[in-house]
Amino acid sequence: MRLIVNGRPVDADPPGHQPLLDFLRDACGLTGTKRGCDRGECGACTVLVDGEPTLSCLALAHGCDGQSVQTIEGLGDVDAPHTLQEAFVAEDAAQCGFCTPGQLMAATALLARVADPSEAEVRAALSGNLCRCGTHPKIVRAVRRAAATLRTGDAT
Amino acid sequence: MTGPNRRFVSTTVEVEGRVETRVVEVPAVTLAPWDADAALTHVGARAQRVDGLLKAAGRAPYTTDLARPGMAHAVFVRAQVPRGRITAIDTTAARAMPGVLDILLAADVPARTRLFLPDVTYAGAPVAAVCAETLAQAEAAARAVRVTIEPGEAAITPEQALAGAPVRPGLTSNQSGGAPKVRQRGDVDTALATADVVLTREVRTPCVLHSAMEPHAAVAEWSGDALTVWESTQGIFRVRDGLAKALGLPVHRVRVICEAMGGGFGAKNYAGPHTFTAAVLARRLRRPVSCVLDRAGEQIDSGNRSSTWQRITIGARRDGTLVAIDLDAIIPLGIGGWDGGPGDLFHELYACPNVRTREAFVYTNTGAMASFRAPGHAEGAVGLELTLNAIAAELGLDPLVLRERNIATRDQKQDRPYTGNRLAECYTEGARRIGWHDRAGRTVRDGRLRRGFGVAAQVWGTGGGPPSYATVRLNTDGTADVLSGTQDLGTGTRTILAQVAAESLGHRLDAVRAVIGDTATGPYSGNSWGSITVASLTPAVRMAAEEARRGLLEAAAGILDVAVDALETREGRVHVRDTDRSLAFGEVTAKLGNVMIMGQGARGPNPSGTGIVTTGAQFAEVEVDVETGVVRVVTIVAVHDAGRIVNPTLAESQLEGGIIQGLGYALFEERALDARLGLPLNVGLHDYKIPTHADIPVIDGHFLDGADPLANPVGARGIAEPAIIPTAPAIAGAVADALGVEVSELPLTPWRVLGALDGASR
Ligand code: FES
Ligand code: FES
Repeated sequence: MRLIVNGRPVDADPPGHQPLLDFLRDACGLTGTKRGCDRGECGACTVLVDGEPTLSCLALAHGCDGQSVQTIEGLGDVDAPHTLQEAFVAEDAAQCGFCTPGQLMAATALLARVADPSEAEVRAALSGNLCRCGTHPKIVRAVRRAAATLRTGDAT
Repeated sequence: MTGPNRRFVSTTVEVEGRVETRVVEVPAVTLAPWDADAALTHVGARAQRVDGLLKAAGRAPYTTDLARPGMAHAVFVRAQVPRGRITAIDTTAARAMPGVLDILLAADVPARTRLFLPDVTYAGAPVAAVCAETLAQAEAAARAVRVTIEPGEAAITPEQALAGAPVRPGLTSNQSGGAPKVRQRGDVDTALATADVVLTREVRTPCVLHSAMEPHAAVAEWSGDALTVWESTQGIFRVRDGLAKALGLPVHRVRVICEAMGGGFGAKNYAGPHTFTAAVLARRLRRPVSCVLDRAGEQIDSGNRSSTWQRITIGARRDGTLVAIDLDAIIPLGIGGWDGGPGDLFHELYACPNVRTREAFVYTNTGAMASFRAPGHAEGAVGLELTLNAIAAELGLDPLVLRERNIATRDQKQDRPYTGNRLAECYTEGARRIGWHDRAGRTVRDGRLRRGFGVAAQVWGTGGGPPSYATVRLNTDGTADVLSGTQDLGTGTRTILAQVAAESLGHRLDAVRAVIGDTATGPYSGNSWGSITVASLTPAVRMAAEEARRGLLEAAAGILDVAVDALETREGRVHVRDTDRSLAFGEVTAKLGNVMIMGQGARGPNPSGTGIVTTGAQFAEVEVDVETGVVRVVTIVAVHDAGRIVNPTLAESQLEGGIIQGLGYALFEERALDARLGLPLNVGLHDYKIPTHADIPVIDGHFLDGADPLANPVGARGIAEPAIIPTAPAIAGAVADALGVEVSELPLTPWRVLGALDGASR
């Protein structure tokens, strides 16, 4: 099978039942996508598949044949962070940081759909992404801050 | 540096609500405390979390992300019954499965690990570990292990345990200590007999689960006879010592590393079965082994906050002065844990001469309790505060006024003053922020959507104390490292240490880096628990940095040919006072080549004869739908006095986090147990509800300005646990206010809210 991971084509033949999460973490070494529950309950494993937020622990790698997968590593990196990532730092929207990549990927999908989300829209879009540190207020602020930056065009 | 003139003395340290006396070292140097007016640049600033971008980029190295070359994966086989004796374990089929490398049973592990004991004492106990090339293979093989257990009589409830046989071998009584723990000051019975009003209430609080997003995890790797373990932990040194003891290794052959960890909240304080399993398997297989709990394992077998039953009697005078507080409580601990109960708070939150608490800690055949953010206090606050509201109603007093009349100005537990307690200001400021005194106009007691307000207070010992050490070193380019064997749970420890070191050195913040989370590189610092890390460690960092600064000034004085005391440091430069001559730190260190400027810091003892606490008050506004029973928290206002706040942004994050966990405790969270098997019925995060984005109220978190220079030379106290204590009782009080009906059991799920209404209309 062939899929695009963070913009690069990847040819692979994972075991038929392998979840996308395991494929990304183990075969591709992309450990930014977290395993919080492995059963579709926490959102820590959220990635984008053809732009749609997807729980990678529930998706099969083979099911993504021909599709494009984006993980946190594809959003931006420490030396070239995405506007959303910068906003998360500016608003202190990561405490332990374990839920953060999932929150960011869900937020990425939201901002692709809605340029100026209300607080309620951010909350609704991210409600499947659990956070035990209670960083929610700052996550919502960060997403709206990034949206504002992206709208004014000084985004990175 | 001349030979230090050290002494060893005794001091008291409060950890997780427990007061301990310890022998400690008095450092040779005493630091002049930074008082409230000290002119500080980095300390108190809203510095960005130094590892924030690493986390936002998905690059922070969590234990669960490690992939060591050749790493194998281990998982547990768990007992499915609460009590019995293992009579057979058939591993034949499992061993033949693809990728299986090893299976550990009791006979394969050192006795001190206490792993896989033949006596099963709770459902979910590990009985074997299966190791395979991949996690999926290990999980598949674990399902093929056949365990035969001769079932025994289990005690799931405390009532069953108090009436039945010992719940585990070696116990003579299922009550910790054989009898309830009774503590009394004054004479409660006499005071109650003469009080103007006496009320008794029964309150129940649920058993709740820590539910950190990163589960417990260890990766073990041997190199010759030396063991390295990466662990998701709140205490690298405790894990190291636990491993050394269990495996019979000298401590210097065990290294424990925790670079980043995904939450602990009290559940990750020790080496656990997963740690020992990874270490033993790694030695047998001569390759690295990872052992990570799956979500079910995490929820069943990594600790919990005990449920409580509390019967509270309060006696007061007509003017609201409390004259007696009496608590009778039953606290089921599960199969282990410690006596962390609601009683402590009753002895210290309010001024009251007569207080008695009687707590029965009962072992049962269920998963063990573990410290969970403000263990005991969070539970006790629910019982005490709800009963206090009842007293206020009975006396026709505003609940806030009643509380303001009974502020504890002294540490009554140990009959000594506090270094500071500004709870009165917290009440005033919080009341102003939520509009407490004009709430009548916003309170709604009829129609479908009711609205009410609640208030609750908090006290928690946050003095920290020794031992805690740090080293500060200047590198050849003038940058600085802070080394300490602490760890950052997500609280921002790395950032705080860099801020304090930059302040003390007179350096730029971005030129200082904290190197933590490794027992091999940092001097000892204790567990990150009990809200004590800032108070325990930052004075040591300050001492180390000041010593390094003195070294730097001596070197610079030689280069500039001036006296040392003509020099000062600011933002990474050494300035000759009142001149424009200066040298960058890097220019000084470059002249030294590899001569190292280093400072050592040790935390000195706490002042004797004083209590050190963080206090605060929280106010809740809620909306209750009386048709569905759904509670929506509208606003939480929190005002706390935690001494100097080293970084307001990070402190607010932690405060909000505690409040949100408290909201879950108030409204959603409750481990439901199968009555026969004692197995949690809601082990997943879908059924065990923690708050999500949709549940979050407006949170107005505020810290009083100031510092506590009597507590320690940095003037800071802790906030992690204080944050959660008042939230649930403030919310429950607000729900009762909205309904006009008392509530007595958490969490306030819709059916409990409707039940409270039903009960009242009947
Ligand atoms: S790991 Fe996929 S939802 Fe939790
Ligand atoms: S920041 Fe820790 S779980 Fe969200």
